[in-house]
Amino acid sequence: MTEAVIRRTASGKMRIDCVDKNRSAGFFLIGIAVLSTLGFLYLDIPWSKMLARVPQMGIVFWKLGHFDFSNFDLIGSALLETISIAVLSTIYSLILSLFFGMLAAENIFKCRVLSSAVKAFFTFLRAVPTPVWVLLMMICIGMGPSAGIAGLCVHTTAFFTRAFAQSFEAVPSETIEALQSAGASKVSVFLNAVLPSATPELVAWTGMRFEINFSECAILGMVGAGGIGYVISTHIEGYEYGTAGLAIFCVFAIAFCIERAFIWIKSKQRAC
Amino acid sequence: MEPILTFDHVTKRYGNGVCALKDVSLSVRPGEFISIIGPSGSGKSTLLRSINKLISTTEGNIFFDGENVSALRGGRLRKNRSKIGMIFQNYNLVYNLSVLQNVLHGRLGHMSGIRGILGLYPEEDKEKAWTLLEEMGLEKFCYNKAGSLSGGQKQRVGIARAIIQDPKILLCDEPIASLDPSSAKVIMDLLKSTAQKRGIPCLVNLHQVDVAMRYSTRIIGLHAGEIVFDGEPESLSDSVLERIYGTSVTNLVAGTSDEKDWQQAYAV
Amino acid sequence: MQSEKRLYSILFFCIVGLFVASTCFARYNPFEIFFNLENFQAFIVDDFFPPAIPTGLKLKAIFQGILTTICMALSATSVAAVLAFVTALFASKRVSPIQKSPKFVRGFATFLRNIPALVWAFILFSSLGIGTGVGFIALCISSYAFMVRAFAETIDDISQDNLESLQAAGASFIQVVFHGILPSCLRGFISWFLYCIEVNLRSSTVVGMVGGGGIGLVLLSYLKGFKYNMSFTIILAIAVMVLLVDALTNYLRKELDLE
Repeated sequence: MTEAVIRRTASGKMRIDCVDKNRSAGFFLIGIAVLSTLGFLYLDIPWSKMLARVPQMGIVFWKLGHFDFSNFDLIGSALLETISIAVLSTIYSLILSLFFGMLAAENIFKCRVLSSAVKAFFTFLRAVPTPVWVLLMMICIGMGPSAGIAGLCVHTTAFFTRAFAQSFEAVPSETIEALQSAGASKVSVFLNAVLPSATPELVAWTGMRFEINFSECAILGMVGAGGIGYVISTHIEGYEYGTAGLAIFCVFAIAFCIERAFIWIKSKQRAC
Repeated sequence: MEPILTFDHVTKRYGNGVCALKDVSLSVRPGEFISIIGPSGSGKSTLLRSINKLISTTEGNIFFDGENVSALRGGRLRKNRSKIGMIFQNYNLVYNLSVLQNVLHGRLGHMSGIRGILGLYPEEDKEKAWTLLEEMGLEKFCYNKAGSLSGGQKQRVGIARAIIQDPKILLCDEPIASLDPSSAKVIMDLLKSTAQKRGIPCLVNLHQVDVAMRYSTRIIGLHAGEIVFDGEPESLSDSVLERIYGTSVTNLVAGTSDEKDWQQAYAV
Repeated sequence: MQSEKRLYSILFFCIVGLFVASTCFARYNPFEIFFNLENFQAFIVDDFFPPAIPTGLKLKAIFQGILTTICMALSATSVAAVLAFVTALFASKRVSPIQKSPKFVRGFATFLRNIPALVWAFILFSSLGIGTGVGFIALCISSYAFMVRAFAETIDDISQDNLESLQAAGASFIQVVFHGILPSCLRGFISWFLYCIEVNLRSSTVVGMVGGGGIGLVLLSYLKGFKYNMSFTIILAIAVMVLLVDALTNYLRKELDLE
């Protein structure tokens, strides 16, 4: 063992920090601070002009707070439409991704080329933001909920496929081998061993994605698909803040309920 | 001798209606080594934490060093806390910092302003931390991360952190509950010798009756928040133990204090 | 086991019920897409391919757009992170010096979080006018709300015990923050910060589309002008940008030893 020695700085003060201190976090923070400042300067935001309009922002919020219930039927149906889009896109992607996730998981078909190819393809789909897909779908199949569902499906399927493949790969190989040695086919191994053991994770992923899909749906309307986003954007542009405020509040309320519901389901899962 | 700490009819009720302390009165004099024993949930932790107001009490007063703790707030409370050393079951060290830094945390209560925030401790404090760690046999680990130490070593750092405060009392909350038997013995010996050398009274929460018998000058038995026994270890009879733990002595791993039983007690 | 099965069968029936109800309401036919297959083919083959190669000014516009989008995401996340750190101290049940503050702060953050970034953008556009500044603030709001919760949970999870020891030694609130919370939670914070950057890069593209500037705006103008070849190039550029940043954050996670 080496003799313990007091470490001192150049000026003779005693040092107290770790010998093998990991400084990467410090460097990272400094780097981020510098880059952020540069980026901030590059954006060249006219703050004074914006500050001058802050009182106006107060007025807008004030007006948004005064709900106008006269258009409630419009908001209600738009809200239902948004929820349907979110539900349908989540469910269709769920079904598609179970299939693609099976292909992408390395421990089921044991074919590296297949799984890498599937993963690479969906990584690309995931890298493009959802509204872009929705816009493209709208160009192809026209306005309306169908375009929203199809566009959301692209991104959601890509998200689920990666997540599910991860969950499938986490299933211990003994479980799979046990069934394989009993002569089960690959698909039946998947259905009987892999899927049941991954179910809790799949539920968690689905819940998380449903929350995201709902808020995505709410904004899709703003780029042109139907639903509550359309109501919000047209009413804000038409200065009918009362209706817009109510619609925004409804979005908040439903997003909040969905979040609570899945927290509840998770706690139930844990209790089981 | 004047008592340094006095509990005057202290009661603590939690929001859910649980009564953790019921009309507790006691006093502690310098030089005493007091063990508090009792089953889980009998209020041992609450008793210790009410002394430095980590938990505030519902009724009654606690006097420490001439001040009413229950009434203290802000800077006065901090000053008061800096006179009380505390040792925890889970060591409660900041694992990403060095051992020296962890020990010096004990001085934070004496520092203020920008020096306290940046951790620019005076040189004499640093030297003192070093000598204390030498006393604990840890000088080789001074510049290691606290997280890399073993359980017994972590607890020794915890003791050094409490001692560097120059405390007028030491509170130890289950100091050996997370340790293996041999480290537990080392920690208890160290605790007793350091406290005696400096004349600091010690209040120790313990689960192990034998350890309490072996080290303490006085034992307090708690049951459901009430003091059911307060006296010398010698007068702690089987019937008293039954009253403390609410079960027959044969169910408790207690007995005489010879070496074999001491080890057996830990094996269970 | 039995209760688990029951939970899942209840969930399954809920999903089926929701599915039927939504299909009825939206009148969505999943096979509709096959009727439009010709349309798709024509669109992809005729309009999209080949991706146009941007030159001169167009190339410059695309690069500037990407740079703006990245700057917006990065600096908005950083500003939000600093604010969120300060707020999270008051949102954590263990640390907060004010007893009642966690409830209020958390409620406030929940409110901000459950309104999508784009809705914030629209509200702000109507009052502050269109521009990168507003996009910046909209991104700030949503990532701020997200990080307040994430940071507060990190503080509550990690530093529960060692805060008590510092408090017992008489350390003040600020001392506890600098000597207890920062050393033990910094890595957790950075991990959330990187996640937020990934999310914000995507949302800053979207916020750009409705008026926040950056690559999103460039893309939308080409789409609206029916210049699909160029749009395809930009979509590819966005994908590359997102993938590169994801790769960078993954590299940083490894380098910083966050897993």
